Amino acid sequence: MLRRIAGSLFWAARYLERAQWRARLVDVNYHLLLEVPPRDAEPWEPLVWITAEQELFATLHSHVTEASVIDFYVFEKENRSSIRNCIESVRANLSPLRHLISSDLWLAVNRLYLESHGWTAQTLSAAGVSAFFADLQRHFYTIEGIIVNTMPRDMAYDLIEIGTMLERPDNVSRLLDVKYHYLLPRQEEIGGPADLRQWAAVLRSASAFEAFRKVYGNAVRVDRVVEILVFDPAFPRSIRFGIERLARVLARIAAREDEPAPRSLPCADLLKILRAGSAPQTIADGLHEFLIGIEAMCARLAGHVFDRYMSLE
Amino acid sequence: MDAQQAGIAVPGWKAEVAVLQPINEMFDAQGQARPECARVIAYLLAMESTRLADLGERAHRMFQTMGVTFNVYGDHEGGERIFPFDPIPRIIPAGVWAGLEAGLIQRARALNAFVADIYGEGQIIKDGAIPRDLVIGSPQFRHAAAGIKSPCGVYITVAGIDLVRGADGRFHVLEDNVRTPSGVSYVIENRRIMTRLLPELIRALRVSSVENYPAYLLASLREVAPGGISDPTVALLTPGPFNSAFFEHVFLSQQMGVELVEGRDLVCVGHKLFMKTVHGLRRIHVLYRRIDDDFLDPVVFRPDSLLGVAGLTAVLRAGNATLANAIGTGVADDKGIFAYTPAMIRYYLGEEPLLPIVETYLLRDPEVRAAVLRDLDHYVVKPTGASGGYGVVIGPSATDEELEQARRRIAAAPADFIAQPVFPLSVHPTLAGGVAGGKAALVARHVDLRPFVLLGARPRVLAGGLTRVALREGSLIVNSSQGGGSKDTWVLEE
Repeated sequence: MLRRIAGSLFWAARYLERAQWRARLVDVNYHLLLEVPPRDAEPWEPLVWITAEQELFATLHSHVTEASVIDFYVFEKENRSSIRNCIESVRANLSPLRHLISSDLWLAVNRLYLESHGWTAQTLSAAGVSAFFADLQRHFYTIEGIIVNTMPRDMAYDLIEIGTMLERPDNVSRLLDVKYHYLLPRQEEIGGPADLRQWAAVLRSASAFEAFRKVYGNAVRVDRVVEILVFDPAFPRSIRFGIERLARVLARIAAREDEPAPRSLPCADLLKILRAGSAPQTIADGLHEFLIGIEAMCARLAGHVFDRYMSLE
Repeated sequence: MDAQQAGIAVPGWKAEVAVLQPINEMFDAQGQARPECARVIAYLLAMESTRLADLGERAHRMFQTMGVTFNVYGDHEGGERIFPFDPIPRIIPAGVWAGLEAGLIQRARALNAFVADIYGEGQIIKDGAIPRDLVIGSPQFRHAAAGIKSPCGVYITVAGIDLVRGADGRFHVLEDNVRTPSGVSYVIENRRIMTRLLPELIRALRVSSVENYPAYLLASLREVAPGGISDPTVALLTPGPFNSAFFEHVFLSQQMGVELVEGRDLVCVGHKLFMKTVHGLRRIHVLYRRIDDDFLDPVVFRPDSLLGVAGLTAVLRAGNATLANAIGTGVADDKGIFAYTPAMIRYYLGEEPLLPIVETYLLRDPEVRAAVLRDLDHYVVKPTGASGGYGVVIGPSATDEELEQARRRIAAAPADFIAQPVFPLSVHPTLAGGVAGGKAALVARHVDLRPFVLLGARPRVLAGGLTRVALREGSLIVNSSQGGGSKDTWVLEE
């Protein structure tokens, strides 16, 4: 496989994951604020922190309002990571290599693209926020289902996995970090009702709420949320789950190469930390520092994978 | 040497052909169906006119469905451009085709020999069979190609030769395309549509298959690989998704099972050509390029080109890879040099041309120019440097102002123009635009034919070709950029 094509598959997967993630963030925040009338002046502001886009946002909007944040997240053409632009990037990356992916996958991506292309500011109000995001989520699930069910487990599939699994831990990490450090209004106490509602929203953003309840029941506690989102080996959106999957993919690729397999995979360090760690200890040592460390290791890993399989230099 | 000595025609007469009636490909002058078309005509006549109209509709729908699969390439607006298709097939009987095939092979071999010669010894120029300045002065002549030897002596691996049928029923060569001729994917797609629309008719008539083209192409490309390579790697070089022919590049690479590469996928190391794969560099032995000479190698040609790969020319010169088609082949399809192609066939092959060419006058010759300018409204004037029907002035239908403009442009740069007598392109029954009130009517529209010839260890000709049809009434220009469409071409087996 050509390195250029490897790069396109990787980025298509990353943008797909990013679009999906952002759709959930906005959807969950919207519903959270429906249930609980906000006491904060700007309850939508944390969303801009989570994606570290304060600067860009400030150049486009003077006020953080529901409308401006949703517009920024979903429709904004100037924001490279808006859902609309992510979808366009998925399509642009896949378009020249349509002959390498299943036609069902192409059609599903193109259908989503054509729909997103027709979005206007009125689309959301016409459809209703819930229906809009439910529909969007269906598109994403369809695309994922087609990938899993129609693509042979070859290099192309592996690169999509790598892209997804490098994007996902990053997103989870930032979400946790922002909630843990910034989100709670001053007058609220840790462990109070507002705090717990926010942790529940975090779980929902990661589609983890139902999985959480199955394991821990209704008692939402910080360490348990961190446990399921960071260290859980079985929950599909936990950081550890993603890196374990990544390790298997990298091992699979190495086994396919003619060269002897490397003695240790580039994600070995990260994996070691995630396998040995526990939520209470991590929180005691400082969650923020831990998450910063994880993000840095993910970035190094991405750089390594890029140099190894995609760089044209 | 002047034009007459070289056997080049000088127009001393009013172009009488302008008043000749074009022939109809399906009916003779008495309105009787030609024998090879009788079954198709009977079949179409037996169809209710609504079903006939439906044929066009169905074809259009199928193309839209398939069109989605090919036109969204490179179209970021998600729109669809469909090459218009007419479902009435064009029939070529076995005997006629056999003659064409021999003529096409003869022509491709002579053009190939010409390219080999002018970038080698230049014997044809030394022998005075073609003026030196015409060759060297051609905008398609590439000094960088001098001395590059191609394995098997093949420089023109793929040729698309445009034929038109005259009032006498004979096929004439209108022009050659020996750089990066395109359109073959439509030939194959058109047939796929027709096998769904009229399967029983195709079987009954014993129509030659066109599906074998990608296999022919791959075989030819492998045969021209540098010597001593038992299992050569072939790749197709595309300018990328924004190129209008990108669909065809994807189609052919997929059908041949070869990698579709862009310039940035390639690198030249130690005078060898490689592509960058996830598992490291992989050697390429034959590069089927679909980009123009000027963009191939920034070291030798346009330094700003990002489409090619630096060092490619040196790799070719070292004999470590073959480029198909070779650098500089365009000199052989120069519209001015075209006038000398019959002479080329005699010179290189010692044979009489099997296919006549449309008479072509070089306006650089003062005597010729004066004669043409006197009766400009009887000629078609073409700029030598353009293709795709751009800049063509058709005398009989041009306004006085357009003719005056043409005169001025010819006077300013006479060597940049050729003139041909208006050629009465044959017409063919066509459904396009003929649907009124749900009923179909067949109308006569002008057609040409682009067959494809491949040179390798042996020549191969695709049995068929792209029949282009000028959908506008009376129009003689069949190019898709000028409102042309296409038809399926049925070459019948014996």
